[in-house]
Amino acid sequence: MNEGTAHSAAGPAQRSAARRRHAVPYLLIAPALVLAAVIVLWPLTVIGNISLHDVNRFGQLRGFSGLANFAELWRDPDFIATLWRTLIWTIGVVGGTLILSVPVALVLNRDFHGRALARVIIMLPWSVSVTMTAVVWRWALNGESGMLNSALRAGGITESNIVWLSSAATAFPIQIGIGILVSIPFTVTVFLAGLSSVPEDIYEAASIEGASSWQQLRTITLPMLRPFMTLAVVLNVIYVFNSFPIIWVLTQGGPANSTDILVTYLYKLAFRFGQMGQAAAVSIIMFAILLAITLLYVRLVTKTEAKS
Amino acid sequence: MNTKMRHTLIAWALIGPIAVVILFPFAVMLITALKPADEVLQPHWWPRNPQWGNFIAMWKATNFGPALLNSLLVSGFSTALAVAVSVPAAYALARMPFRGKGAFRQFLLISQMLSPIVLVLGLFQLVASLGLLDSKLSIVLVYAAFAIAFATWLLQSYFSTIPRDLEEAAWIEGASRTTAIRTVFLPLALPAIAVTCIFTFVQAWNEFVLALTLLRSQESYTLPIQIFSLVAGRYTIEWNYVMAAALVATVPVAIVFAIMQRHLVRGLASGAVK
Repeated sequence: MNEGTAHSAAGPAQRSAARRRHAVPYLLIAPALVLAAVIVLWPLTVIGNISLHDVNRFGQLRGFSGLANFAELWRDPDFIATLWRTLIWTIGVVGGTLILSVPVALVLNRDFHGRALARVIIMLPWSVSVTMTAVVWRWALNGESGMLNSALRAGGITESNIVWLSSAATAFPIQIGIGILVSIPFTVTVFLAGLSSVPEDIYEAASIEGASSWQQLRTITLPMLRPFMTLAVVLNVIYVFNSFPIIWVLTQGGPANSTDILVTYLYKLAFRFGQMGQAAAVSIIMFAILLAITLLYVRLVTKTEAKS
Repeated sequence: MNTKMRHTLIAWALIGPIAVVILFPFAVMLITALKPADEVLQPHWWPRNPQWGNFIAMWKATNFGPALLNSLLVSGFSTALAVAVSVPAAYALARMPFRGKGAFRQFLLISQMLSPIVLVLGLFQLVASLGLLDSKLSIVLVYAAFAIAFATWLLQSYFSTIPRDLEEAAWIEGASRTTAIRTVFLPLALPAIAVTCIFTFVQAWNEFVLALTLLRSQESYTLPIQIFSLVAGRYTIEWNYVMAAALVATVPVAIVFAIMQRHLVRGLASGAVK
């Protein structure tokens, strides 16, 4: 398309036609831009404003307070503990997902009996709402009549019932496990896309040269998969960092805030404790963290593009 | 042993345990849903007296019908709105050079990164100031807005795989740009649009935190919130009905998704590899 040449046309009719043609892409993106901007950017400015003010529990501003809300958070031991727990949660879920998804994708990429079935099962959690999954697990983990306890006892693995959700020591690892389970389908999908981009003849050449399948994995497959791993890790970090239902449905961050992560703590501050100013400050801190992760990713991608 | 058999053994040795953990909640759902009320709290696995009638009794006990209708309305309208604004935007990104394209892409990236939960406080204030709290319209608008970035990105990556020559040929034949889009481009883009619709629909169908915040009365609850409200903060929970409801809310979507999943994988692959 060369719309630039239209400028050289002299007549006013052509010029206005050219102008109209220039406007077309902007008209096409306008509805999407306006809708997304109003609903994403406006709340962001509202939150920024609240975070810098003294506010009542209904969110009405009472006077500029500078960084007082942030300072208040910093002195709150629950917030600091939540910050660390969010780090463990994110690294645990994203790392666990990566460790399981690479071998699953490698296996699913090869032909074997029952591959179609295996694929459907692995992808299944993607289609189920995380909320529903968490509700079902809450019931399965019930201390007295939950089916996990009865299954474990029937299998002779444990002797007495475990009250899984009553302490963070058992509840939080289980929440991480469920987080891993629901993140596997997307991650495997990305890796399968990556594996399908590796040309077959590389492997043929490698086996003619006498490379073992372990050597092929280490020197061909994994390096080719690296950009897809970066993509999956970054998207999972963003997704897991923001993930609310698993923790909220199973424990609501309890007992005594001991399984809270930033999102559940933010929700409690805003809608339970009525601490709008501090809730806004948590939002801004989360926004800053997410922005840093995204910029890091953009940097990584442009660097690898420049290299290739 | 031939290679395929060896691969099969390795594959199932790895996938088997994961599959058990994935299928466990489905088994729990089905088995609990079939238990009569007096067996629910007994920790044995199989119901001695399976009650298929639970699926009918659940409908009233969990207020399933209205919540199902709300979920269908909210997911349907937000998908329609999101796709209606994303298709033109994706077409512009895939086909037209314009100043500010990079900036628009970055804006989409940022709106993708900001999840609803980070903005929930501001969204609550925005919706409240418009007097739309507890209305389904607010949920439709917000879901649509948050779906735009992914929908546009997915559509754009498909659109750029549709050869341009076909449209150009139509122009040479004397068709206007709009006619060419309608008669040549859109029919080819239809599968991509369908995949995007399904993905957006499932996202809206499963959304939790915004519905929890913006919907206040039971009449406007969507399915995830309705089912959560049967479990949260209640002294007696009728787990057999809750599990029956969860199963009915989950299985149809899971089947559609399982069928469409292959197309989605292809879409993601073409988008990521480019």
